[in-house]
Amino acid sequence: MTPLLEVRNLQTHSNTGNGVVKAVDGVSFDVREGETVAIVGESGSGKSVTAMSVLRLIPNPPGQIVGGEVLFDGEDLLHVQESEMRDIRGNRIAMIFQEPMTSLNPVLTIGRQVGEPIEIHQSLDRKGILEHCIELLRKVRIPDPEKRLHAYPHQFSGGMRQRAMIAMGLACEPRLIIADEPTTALDVTVQAQILELLKEVTRQSTSSLILITHDLGVVARYADRVNVMYAGRIVEHGPAREIYNSPKHPYTIGLMQSIPRLDDNAGSRLVPIGGQPPDMSNPPSGCPFHPRCPNVTDRCREKLPPLSKVNDGHWKACWVDVDAKQ
Amino acid sequence: MQNSSPLLRLTDLKVHFPLPGRLLSRDTGGVVKAVDGVSFEVNAGETLGIVGESGCGKSTTGLAVLRMVDVTGGQIEFAGADITHANRQQMRPIRRGMQMIFQDPYGALDPRMRVRNIVAEPLLAHGIVSRGEELRKQVAGLLDMVGLLPSMAERYPHEFSGGQRQRIGIARALALNPSLIVCDEPVSALDVSIQAQIINLLQDLQKSLNLTYLFIAHDLAVVRHISDRILVMYLGKIVEIANREDLYERPMHPYTKALLSAIPVPSPDVEANRDHELLEGEVPSPINPPSGCPFHPRCPSAMPDCATRAPALTEHNGHSVACHLYD
Repeated sequence: MTPLLEVRNLQTHSNTGNGVVKAVDGVSFDVREGETVAIVGESGSGKSVTAMSVLRLIPNPPGQIVGGEVLFDGEDLLHVQESEMRDIRGNRIAMIFQEPMTSLNPVLTIGRQVGEPIEIHQSLDRKGILEHCIELLRKVRIPDPEKRLHAYPHQFSGGMRQRAMIAMGLACEPRLIIADEPTTALDVTVQAQILELLKEVTRQSTSSLILITHDLGVVARYADRVNVMYAGRIVEHGPAREIYNSPKHPYTIGLMQSIPRLDDNAGSRLVPIGGQPPDMSNPPSGCPFHPRCPNVTDRCREKLPPLSKVNDGHWKACWVDVDAKQ
Repeated sequence: MQNSSPLLRLTDLKVHFPLPGRLLSRDTGGVVKAVDGVSFEVNAGETLGIVGESGCGKSTTGLAVLRMVDVTGGQIEFAGADITHANRQQMRPIRRGMQMIFQDPYGALDPRMRVRNIVAEPLLAHGIVSRGEELRKQVAGLLDMVGLLPSMAERYPHEFSGGQRQRIGIARALALNPSLIVCDEPVSALDVSIQAQIINLLQDLQKSLNLTYLFIAHDLAVVRHISDRILVMYLGKIVEIANREDLYERPMHPYTKALLSAIPVPSPDVEANRDHELLEGEVPSPINPPSGCPFHPRCPSAMPDCATRAPALTEHNGHSVACHLYD
């Protein structure tokens, strides 16, 4: 079965005052029908730029997709007309952004915004759109949808705004939803509500979900497969269980050791990753993680490691066999 | 220096903010009870964690301790002295003993000042040393203490990463050799791989300098890691205080239980067997808080009594909780 989305060797660069920043530097991953794929990484790792590139939402200048393929249903989105792209965005692929505060238009009612994708992509009359909106708001459990339709974003709480964003994303029953840090701005108890909602609605509609986050707990709970990004590249990917139970890239291992967990030995010392994240306008030679890596060898300083197979479905970009090291 | 009296004691602290009234109206607009009757003690050398969701009053409590907001009622005692009504002049020497580390390492440092001057500022402002060799040495020592190179003193904040900036903020807080440091979300703006560096640094400094921390954060895993005792707040009130073990192993308040249940553990195996008890709704507006127990509209165990009568904080074997389930 061919995957729903296949990203091949995606390269997105940004022209800054300090030269070219390779924000996404040869990223490949795929998303199958109905599954949840996580992209994890820290700020500047290129996870959001990857997502924006899939939808060709990279502002140019300064950004530019300079290479690769984004195959959605077999069609390369990097080579379709802009008009066709508009037909895909919000319709077959929807995006849910981090900041429900700034991603909603403050001067339009919630109903108007949730209804917009329907209005654009489906031939429904006013009454039909209205009914569909109410149904969507009900689906994301916004209470009293008939009335709330006429409210403005500022009259909604953070969680309710994110529900409205999800309703908007679901409007045209997309095959793929990209959620970029969907709960980062929300309180803990609301975060749990929104993630459960997202899981439930994607399961109901059998759409696929790309979950972009820095929260390893969220990934563990919701993702089927995981891509770990560092400095514009995927350094490890595989099934979630594998990545957590036997990570093979020193960066993934470092991340797992550096976070305090609710079920660890309280008061034990954390093992941080040394050093600082790379300056992307002047990235290190060879493997971009080598200046922070505990297993660094001469080869790592000189040559960029390609993704190599650990076992079926589990890949890592590292020259060193971490298991032999321990 | 083990003292029998606590380093910090808050008694029935209230911080209310007036809301703007309507123009040409007698309507005064009411008040937001950001902190409403909070009492706790912090002993020298310990870390008290304060957790809660946005609007619970945890940051305002921290600011009130430093007298950086006006206190509406109650009492703040620091090192045995009542500082509730100390004026600006009286506060100056007291503030040498209490410092703050802020959340946003970008906003907390003046972009036009060299690191040298940022770290030296408190020393000069309090007239501890004057400019010259001694000051330069002290700044170098402080930078070294937080893991920065003395040569970095000549740089500006924008030349540093988030984690390094937080180190500069910590160096500045340590300059006056304080006994209490209020840490307001000190790691939440940092990347995961950097958080651990700063947490370890804070723990090391606490040990070597016998510091006392009031550690305010929303991340319960981080708070569990660093705190000896933890206080949970909801809408301006304390709902539970206990030592770390008790709070995390045997949470009593339904809100604490829900908070702990809402956080996913970074392990797919654990998560597969874990039920998340979802709370209904969101934190209500502190402008118009619910009657009785402020948590009752979202509480899965709410009883009729909860809507009318506010529960008092009561102690059960050193574990205090404000909930009618334990009356």
